[in-house]
Amino acid sequence: MASHAQTADDSDDDMDGFMERFKKEKYSNAFSEDNWEEEFNKVPMFMKTAPEDIDPLKHPELAAIQSIIHDDDRPLGEQAQSLKDEGNEYFKERNYKKAIVSYTAGLQKKCSDCNVNAVLHTNRAAAHFHLGNMRSALNDAVAAKKFKPDHLKALIRGATCCLELKKYTDALQWCEEGLKLQPTDKKLLELRAAADKHKRVAERDARKAKVQEKKERSEREALLAAIKVSRNVKIKTSVLYNLDGLCSTEATGARVFLGEQGIIYWPVLFLYPEHQQTDFISAFSESSSFLDHLSHMFGEELPPWDTDRKYSFKNLQVFFEDEERESLHQVNPETTLLKTLQHKRYFVKAGTPSFIILVKGSPFFLNNLQHPL
Amino acid sequence: MLSDVTAEELMSFLNLDTRPDIKGQATEYILGLSGNRDGCRFLQTKPDLIKALVTLTTDPSIAIVKDCYHTLINLSADETMHRLLVKNPDFLPMLFKNILDPGYMFADRICTILTNLSRHMKTCKEVFKAMQEQGISLAQIVEIFCTEDYNKQASLHYLGPLLSNLTQLPETRQFILDKDRCVVQRLLPYTQYEASTIRRGGVIGTLRNCCFDHVHHEWLLGEAVDILPFLLLPLAGPEELSEEENEGLPVDLQYLPEDKKREEDPDIRKMLIETLILLTATKVGRQILKTKNVYAIMREFHNWEKEPHVVAACEKLIQALIGDEPEPGMENLLEVEIPNDVEVKLKDMEAKELEQLEKDKEDLLNPDKAQHCAGIVRMM
Repeated sequence: MASHAQTADDSDDDMDGFMERFKKEKYSNAFSEDNWEEEFNKVPMFMKTAPEDIDPLKHPELAAIQSIIHDDDRPLGEQAQSLKDEGNEYFKERNYKKAIVSYTAGLQKKCSDCNVNAVLHTNRAAAHFHLGNMRSALNDAVAAKKFKPDHLKALIRGATCCLELKKYTDALQWCEEGLKLQPTDKKLLELRAAADKHKRVAERDARKAKVQEKKERSEREALLAAIKVSRNVKIKTSVLYNLDGLCSTEATGARVFLGEQGIIYWPVLFLYPEHQQTDFISAFSESSSFLDHLSHMFGEELPPWDTDRKYSFKNLQVFFEDEERESLHQVNPETTLLKTLQHKRYFVKAGTPSFIILVKGSPFFLNNLQHPL
Repeated sequence: MLSDVTAEELMSFLNLDTRPDIKGQATEYILGLSGNRDGCRFLQTKPDLIKALVTLTTDPSIAIVKDCYHTLINLSADETMHRLLVKNPDFLPMLFKNILDPGYMFADRICTILTNLSRHMKTCKEVFKAMQEQGISLAQIVEIFCTEDYNKQASLHYLGPLLSNLTQLPETRQFILDKDRCVVQRLLPYTQYEASTIRRGGVIGTLRNCCFDHVHHEWLLGEAVDILPFLLLPLAGPEELSEEENEGLPVDLQYLPEDKKREEDPDIRKMLIETLILLTATKVGRQILKTKNVYAIMREFHNWEKEPHVVAACEKLIQALIGDEPEPGMENLLEVEIPNDVEVKLKDMEAKELEQLEKDKEDLLNPDKAQHCAGIVRMM
């Protein structure tokens, strides 16, 4: 007993001594309090993230490990597998671009293992998918399928890509193939239902558009007939506009239309060349007269550009331009728009009848008038 | 009829080793006999005949095999022959062995025979059992049915009515209505399959029988299956509906083009309506059909339909669609206080209704009423 106690005491002494020294002395290359995290991050085993580039000088251990992975002396299949694993790691970190690089390198090995190649393509497809490169993703899914036609993940990916690309019939095809292999796969059932639904909605939208188009076409035809045939108003057609000449170039997009009780409403421009001003009336009823509008527009308040205060409606005269003869025709303001449009020299241009408004006795009037009332 | 001696001689010719020209004449003669009732009665007394025919389906001469199959079709069309046919241990296995073969040129005849055999419940069960014993699943049947050009020499349209007949059995309905698979969804597009009335009718018959299972109505009408548009499209016409009415319809029925044609077979039209009526049996079914504006489609249909028995079915459906729901406070009948004498009366009515429903179910599942399952080929 005594000898034991002796030995224990001895070792305890040594131990105590060691502990004392341990506490006081620093060992060489110790981590300091400031840099221990940084230092830890340099040791491959404790790294939280991989560095972007592996500099063999800064990270010799990591570079060594990497060279093992990419050792060209190993069999192709193994190399491809390692590259696949590398890609998967990047994928987990959501570094999809790097993942694609790894997968591509793996594929370039052109090893004979169909499984590995199928997985490389499928995983690359997933990486592309997450980057939003749907077409590339789909191409990879197709390639994966070529290597391994029963690779379920490839089929699911293919279906998902087609769905995103709105290729619903193709998506259904992929789902069908997948369900043949795995009839109860929840994801495939879900994708199939979604693709089917979207496809039918797209078909409905196409039908609806057709119906609208037909409706619009018949409305246009009715309108044209009403203008040209019943009312005998001449429309100037030009290659620049719609063939029926009704396209309006007005910024507001206002167009002539057939309103209630069969009355046509025109977008009309009033031009005031003396002041370089215009007014746009978006819906001028054909049964209204110019006076109806002018008395409102130039009634109580005169426009700000009328500096001479002359544009009171009682003083105004209305003209239209006969382009062919380069002359102005005067119009009685009490005439209706319809009557004016029916004038044998009047042509509606650009779907918007325009009229020149001048003050009685203005020099413009005197200079340009050729056809008095 | 033939004397016993001649009959014996005839039977002896039905051997693979017989001279081809004699063999051919014998099979031709048998085929002729099978084409009429007396002939069938006579053949019924010859149990060895079935055995001979089964064997001869392996004959190298296509003409002989054809005659054998046609004879079997005629025999299977006669219900009294079913026992005899099914009793032969090689008959059903032989049929099932070849049905999945994509290169088998007589696959259509097999389907026709199976359809005939499965019309009535008893033999239907035997057919189903034999199918399973041969290791053939319903999944496989549905698969080849839905695969275009599976068999280049056979259209396999008769798999439609076969499936429909098989849905007399709860196992079949269970498989088709499996929520974890995609089975019924694959059949739906065929409700408008123009190329074959047989296929179309078979699928619609299948759907109708499945709708007897009330518990599945909500699922069938929901997004996972969405059976409603497929039942309505064949009944919908080119008549233009207002924008408001259109927007209330299921997506597939909106803005139909002006060249839209309705189902041309009146019996199929009736089956579709019967299926819709079945869906109105449950409250959830009624609600969905009402919200989806089925009434608009049936209103136009009613104006167009000329066949009286179809019009009658249509009116019954419209009744269910525009009829009153129970009054507020009465919707959940379990919570309503019912006076004693009324309670007795209601129980009595309920019993009678259930009885009627069971009877209707039997009537409808009984393929005698469904005229598309005949598949009779009479050759002379």
